[in-house]
Amino acid sequence: MLSRVASSLYWLSRYVERSDGILRMLKINYASSQDTVQEFTWEPIIRIFAGHDEETAKLGNDSRAVIRYMVTGKSNPNSILNIITFARENARGVQEHITKDLWQCLNEYYHTVKDNRLENALKKDDPIGVLDVLIKQVMLYYGTVEITMERGEGRSFMNIGTYLERGIQSVDILDAKFVSIDDNPDLLRDTTYWKHLLLSLGGYEIYLKTYRTGFEAENVLEQVVLNNDFPRSVIYSVNHIQRYFERLKSDSNLDSSRELSFLIGRLQSHIRYSSVKTIEDEGLHTFLTQIRTQLFGIGDALNIHYFANS
Amino acid sequence: MQESAYFKEYHPISGVWDEMYGDAGIRAHYTKVIEYLSRESSDDLTRKEELAKRLFMSQGITFTVYSSGEGIEKIFPFDIIPRIITADEWSFVEKGIKQRLRALNLFLKDIYDNQFIVKDGIVPIDIIYSCPHFLREMYKLQVPYNIYVHIAGIDLIRDHDGTFYVLEDNLRTPSGVSYMLENREITKRLFPDLLPQCGVRSVMEYPSILYKNLLSLSPRQISNPNIVLLSPGIYNSAYFEHTTLARLMGVELVEGRDLVVKDQKVYMKTTVGLQQVDVIYRRVDDEYLDPLVFNPSSILGVAGIMGAYRKGNVAIVNAIGNGVADDKAIYIYVPEMIKYYLGEEPLLKNVPTYQLGNEDERQYVFANINKMVVKKTNESGGYGMLMGHAASEEETEKYKKEILKAPRNFIAQPTISLSAAPCYIQGALHPRRIDLRPYALCGPDGIEIVPGGLTRVALKEGSLVVNSSQGGGSKDTWVLA
Repeated sequence: MLSRVASSLYWLSRYVERSDGILRMLKINYASSQDTVQEFTWEPIIRIFAGHDEETAKLGNDSRAVIRYMVTGKSNPNSILNIITFARENARGVQEHITKDLWQCLNEYYHTVKDNRLENALKKDDPIGVLDVLIKQVMLYYGTVEITMERGEGRSFMNIGTYLERGIQSVDILDAKFVSIDDNPDLLRDTTYWKHLLLSLGGYEIYLKTYRTGFEAENVLEQVVLNNDFPRSVIYSVNHIQRYFERLKSDSNLDSSRELSFLIGRLQSHIRYSSVKTIEDEGLHTFLTQIRTQLFGIGDALNIHYFANS
Repeated sequence: MQESAYFKEYHPISGVWDEMYGDAGIRAHYTKVIEYLSRESSDDLTRKEELAKRLFMSQGITFTVYSSGEGIEKIFPFDIIPRIITADEWSFVEKGIKQRLRALNLFLKDIYDNQFIVKDGIVPIDIIYSCPHFLREMYKLQVPYNIYVHIAGIDLIRDHDGTFYVLEDNLRTPSGVSYMLENREITKRLFPDLLPQCGVRSVMEYPSILYKNLLSLSPRQISNPNIVLLSPGIYNSAYFEHTTLARLMGVELVEGRDLVVKDQKVYMKTTVGLQQVDVIYRRVDDEYLDPLVFNPSSILGVAGIMGAYRKGNVAIVNAIGNGVADDKAIYIYVPEMIKYYLGEEPLLKNVPTYQLGNEDERQYVFANINKMVVKKTNESGGYGMLMGHAASEEETEKYKKEILKAPRNFIAQPTISLSAAPCYIQGALHPRRIDLRPYALCGPDGIEIVPGGLTRVALKEGSLVVNSSQGGGSKDTWVLA
């Protein structure tokens, strides 16, 4: 497979996965902003997905303004509009390597975001309804990939992209949430705070089934980092990166695959042989920063060894 | 025969050859289609027209127009009424194009080698050396089987008496063949059973003939050589055509950044390392092909590819430097070439053409500029033209001044009144001007022309310009068995 094709499939998946993460975060945070009980701030979301600059400073804490900036903001490189445009351009260049169904599905997602009606609805209708329409587009995308895509090299690169992006997001979200506690220790015992974190990662129900003692920071940490069965946990993502990477191994690229295997294996062991206790001893922020650096390291190595972008 | 409502209102343009309508009424080869159409109401036809649009859109058969930083996707306008060519007409056209291409190929071989045609005084040397597409880099370079023109699109038009003329030879990277293929697919859906009833010859063979020819050019004698289609990328207006051809032939679609040259061999960068490339069907112009030899700022090409080509380690289709043979100033000499190389009389006529570098001819053209079409020799796509009969005095004067700056770069042709064919426009049939571009494929086994081609149509009333950039559309083109 051409390196460019592999790279495009990988980025296509990363962008779609990123859009999914952003949309879910926006939805739950908006709901949270409507709960007047607690002090709500969009600050962590902006920090993770957009970064601080003059333009984001102007948004303040106006929910509609933030959501519009994050969904249809032309000047925001990580707005859903821009992300999906990038995803579609990657797909356009590899049309012979994805199914027609998948191409049409992405087209529809793109046209839904570009439609003026969406922008208008964001101005005056219920934002959750609008975000749900887009989240459904992502689910359609994943369903179409699952049903139509050939189980070959291309699909492995797509999956590696998806899980790498997901792992990075879970780490970022967790880090942002725990950093906020440093400023405001009361949050540690605020059950709504943890509930919203879990909801935004889609891990609320699995938490209720696993832990019967209510919302505690340590349990949340355990689930989001170490739970093998939670599809948005860091370890789940890393396990899947490893699984799909194994399928790419062949005789003609031994050196490259050895290097990647090493990076992925090291990261996997690092997380697998951690516990809530060791993470707390090490310092949560330090731990998450390390994991994040290693995830980025895998991305860089793919770039050099597989996508010929050295 | 019974004439239905559409045709009572059909008024052929006087003094223009009408493909459907002759002195004795509807021509024989159009009768079956007309019978079929007369059973449909104009609502039915409008529905078919909408179906065609929907099919083009949903299959992404679009080109992108960029304005204010945003891409808008458009479809190439398609007229649902087919253009029909009889078996006799086709066999003449086919023979004529084959003859012309044989001569043009020999001309390229000669001009990049001994230049006998110049030494024998048939073609003046200054015309060759002043042509920007004549590339010294090609001098004495051996190409496989001495074939330069692997794919040609010859533009034909018909005068008022139906005589075919060659308007232009496209020997570099002729485009539009995907529309020949897709238009036929759409017609199958629009008019069920009509194609077999009329005995229309298939065009489906095109990708397999092209693939067979590409395969035969591989410098390595191996069972499975690597053939690639080199595209400038997704922002190119013909990108759809590139993906279609790559998919139909089952070859890899690559961009310049996917290729790298090492030890004068071309490789593609894959996830399992470098793989040698044997044949490149390129849709990138000569100028952008190798930044080391041609335009140094090009990022569409591959550095060092010219060296690999010269060494014979890779075959490039079409050959580099073909532009010297389809230059509009060289065009004038094609009939002479046919006589010189083949010893035959040209079958297809050239449109009478005046070379404005020539004092006498320039004066004649200036005196009769209202009856002339003036073109730049190195432009295509309908750009930089002056249509004498339609231009204002001011435009004409301005254009004349431009001509005088570099007369060699201009030619003039008397306004030829392209033939007309019926088009379905706003619920009725109206005659519109058309041309014809058949696609010829040259391989070691000879020249093959798929029976069909692209019929371009000037959809604006009274317009003579068929280029898609100037409001033209296309039709399915039927060659009858």
